Amino acid sequence: MSEAPGTPITHPAHAPPSSPGERVPPCILLVDDIPANLRVLYESLNGRDYRLLVANGGAQALDIARRAHPDLMLLDIMMPDMDGFEVCGRLKADCETADIAVIFLSALDDATDKIHGLELGAVDYVTKPFHPDEVAARVDAHCKILRLERELAQRNRQLELVRDRILNSMVEGVVGLDAEGRVSFVNPAAERILGLDAQRILTRELGDWEPARLRETAARVLVEQREASMDELELPRGDGSSIPVELRAAPVSDPAYPAGVVLVLRDLSERRRVEATLNRTNDELTRSHRELRVAQMQLVQAAKLESVGRLAAGVAHEVKNPLAIVQLGLDYLEQVTAFDEISREVLQDMQHALSRADTVVRGLLDFSRERGLDLKPCAINDAIAQSLQLVRHELTQRNIDVLTNLAGDIPERPFDTDKLQQVFLNLFMNAMHAMERDGTLVIRSDCASVAADQIGPHAADAGFLPGDRLIRIAIEDTGPGIEPKDLGRLFDPYFTTKRQGEGTGLGLSVTRNIVTLHAGSIDLANLPQGGARALLLFQPQAASADNPAGAASPLFRNTARRQA
Amino acid sequence: MSKKKILLVDDEPALTRMLRLNLEQTGRYEVREENRGADALRAAREFRPDLIFLDVMMPDMGGDEIAEQLKQDPELSKIKYAFLTAIVTKRETGAGAAQISGEIFIAKPVKRDELLAAVQELLGE
Repeated sequence: MSEAPGTPITHPAHAPPSSPGERVPPCILLVDDIPANLRVLYESLNGRDYRLLVANGGAQALDIARRAHPDLMLLDIMMPDMDGFEVCGRLKADCETADIAVIFLSALDDATDKIHGLELGAVDYVTKPFHPDEVAARVDAHCKILRLERELAQRNRQLELVRDRILNSMVEGVVGLDAEGRVSFVNPAAERILGLDAQRILTRELGDWEPARLRETAARVLVEQREASMDELELPRGDGSSIPVELRAAPVSDPAYPAGVVLVLRDLSERRRVEATLNRTNDELTRSHRELRVAQMQLVQAAKLESVGRLAAGVAHEVKNPLAIVQLGLDYLEQVTAFDEISREVLQDMQHALSRADTVVRGLLDFSRERGLDLKPCAINDAIAQSLQLVRHELTQRNIDVLTNLAGDIPERPFDTDKLQQVFLNLFMNAMHAMERDGTLVIRSDCASVAADQIGPHAADAGFLPGDRLIRIAIEDTGPGIEPKDLGRLFDPYFTTKRQGEGTGLGLSVTRNIVTLHAGSIDLANLPQGGARALLLFQPQAASADNPAGAASPLFRNTARRQA
Repeated sequence: MSKKKILLVDDEPALTRMLRLNLEQTGRYEVREENRGADALRAAREFRPDLIFLDVMMPDMGGDEIAEQLKQDPELSKIKYAFLTAIVTKRETGAGAAQISGEIFIAKPVKRDELLAAVQELLGE
C-alpha cells in the first residue's frame, strides 16, 4: 500500500453546506497485480480531486479496504492470489466494507462475467485495454453518484430527526393511518393521551377505534380526502378511563404517496379543569359580591332607619303629652258644658282630628319600635285571612270586591304573626286607598319558582335568584297604578302619595322593615292591565338557628333598647 | 264612704290638671297633682293616696323610680300604681289599662272614658 502523491484538494462546490466534514476528496483504491496496469490507472486519475490508494493483490486490497475504507475500488478480476470476484464477494459480505463501490477491470470481455460481477454488487465494469479518459469519466460519474447518495442519506436522516423532534415534542397526539386505516405511526403525545404504548396502537385497525364517531370520521376522510374536525370527543383510554379531546382528521394529500389520514388529538382535560376552576371561582366571586351588596344595603338601610327611627320616637313622645291634654280637655268640656248643636259638631271634628293625630303618632312609634321578632311556625294564608278580616268592613263600604287564590301547599315557616299581619294590613289599606271606591283587590299566594321578571330590586338585594323556589304573595289592585317617578321612593320613610292625614308615609317603610327582618323581599310594580301589585317573597324555610330571622340587623336591636 | 284618693304625677302641669278635672268631675275622687318626682314622694306620704298615676319619663326622677321607693315603705304598701306613658302604644295596652311585667300601663293620650274605667278597675270599684 502506498499513499498517493500530491496534496489532496478540498472539494469546494458540491459539498453540502451543512456538513463541512464531508469535503474530504473521494478515496479510490486501485487493485491490479501488474504494476504497469496500476501505473496506467494511477496516471489516469492522478491530478484529479481524489485520494488514491493502490494494492497489488486481492488480499492486500481487502486489508486496505478494511482499514482505509475507500469510497470506490477499481478491481482487477484476474489476480493470482485471489481473483476480483472473490474480493468483491468478501467486501459485500462484510458489513464494514459492503458499501464500498466496486468497478471491475478485466481483459475478459464476456457478458456472463460482466453479469456475474454486477450480480456480486459491482456498480460498473471497464474492459481492458481501457482508455484512461474512459476510466476517469466512469470514476467521476460514480463518485458523483456516491456523493449525491450520501448527501441524500444525510438529508433524509436530518429530515427524519427534525420530523421526530417535532412529533416527539408536540403536545398534540399524532396518529397516522394508512390507506387501509391501519396505524402507521404514532407520537409520544398520542401514547400519553390514549394511555397505550406505541406497539399497542400500531396494531390497531380502523375498526378498533372508539367511539364510533371517530371511526366514521376517519373513514370518511380516507374516502373523501377532505379534512374533518370534532370539538368534543370522549376517547377511551387504555386504563378504562376516558379523556376529552379535540380531533382533527386530515387527509395525507401528497399524490406521490398512497392515501392516508393523520389524526391530531388535542387533550382538553387541562382546559376543562381550568374552565371548571374558572367557573367555580367566578361563581364564588358572584356570590360574595351579591352577599356583600346585600350586607351593604342592609347596613345603609339600617343606619338610615336608625336615625329616622330615633327622630320619629322623639317626635312621637313629644306630641303625645299635648295630645293627651287636648283629649282630656275636650272630654272634660263635653262633660261639664251644655253645647248647642254647632258647638257639638265642632267638638266632634276636634275629636276626629285628635284621633287622626294619634294615628299618625302611633305610626311613628310603630316605625321606631322594637325590631326583634317573635317567631312561631305560621301558615301564611291564615295571616292573610285574619288581616283581610280587619278591613272587610271598609272594603264593603267602598264597594271593593276581593278575589283570593291561596295555594294550599305552602309550607309553614317561622313568622312573627302580628308583624306579618301588620304587613298585610298596610298593603290592603294601600290598595284600598289607591282604588278609593269600586274595584277589585286580588290576593294570591303559592310556593313556586320565581321568574326573572319577578325579581325586583328588593328581591335582588335579598339575594333571590330566578328559579329559586319561594313563597310568593301577590296583592293587586285595580287602582290608577303608581306614578313611575314615585316607584323608587315609595319605601322611603315619610314618602307618601296619600292625602293629608290619610297616611304617615311610614306604612311601606315599616312593611319593608318587617319583611326584611324575615329575610324576605317586597317589590311594587304596575300591572300591564292597570293597577299596582305588591309582590312578597319569602324562603320556604327560615334562615339558620343562630339568626332565625335571617337578616335582622343588630343596629335595629340597639335602637330598640335605647328607646325601651 | 269617704272618697278614694288619687295622686297624679307628671312633669306636665296641664296634663295633671286635665286628669284631675276629669276625675273630680265624677264627684267620687279626691285628687292631688304633683309635677316633680321629689314632691311626689312627699305627697304620697302626706296624702296617703289609694292610687298613684305616674308618668314614666320625668326630668328629675322617673315614675318607675318613685314607685320603687314608695313600695319599700311598709306603711304605703296598699297603694296601687298605674303608669301613664307615651312609651307604650294603644296597640299594646288596648283601650284602658294593661298589665306589662306586673305593672299597670295606660297609654297616652287617654280618653276620659278609658281613664275612668281603668281607675274603677284599679280601685276594685
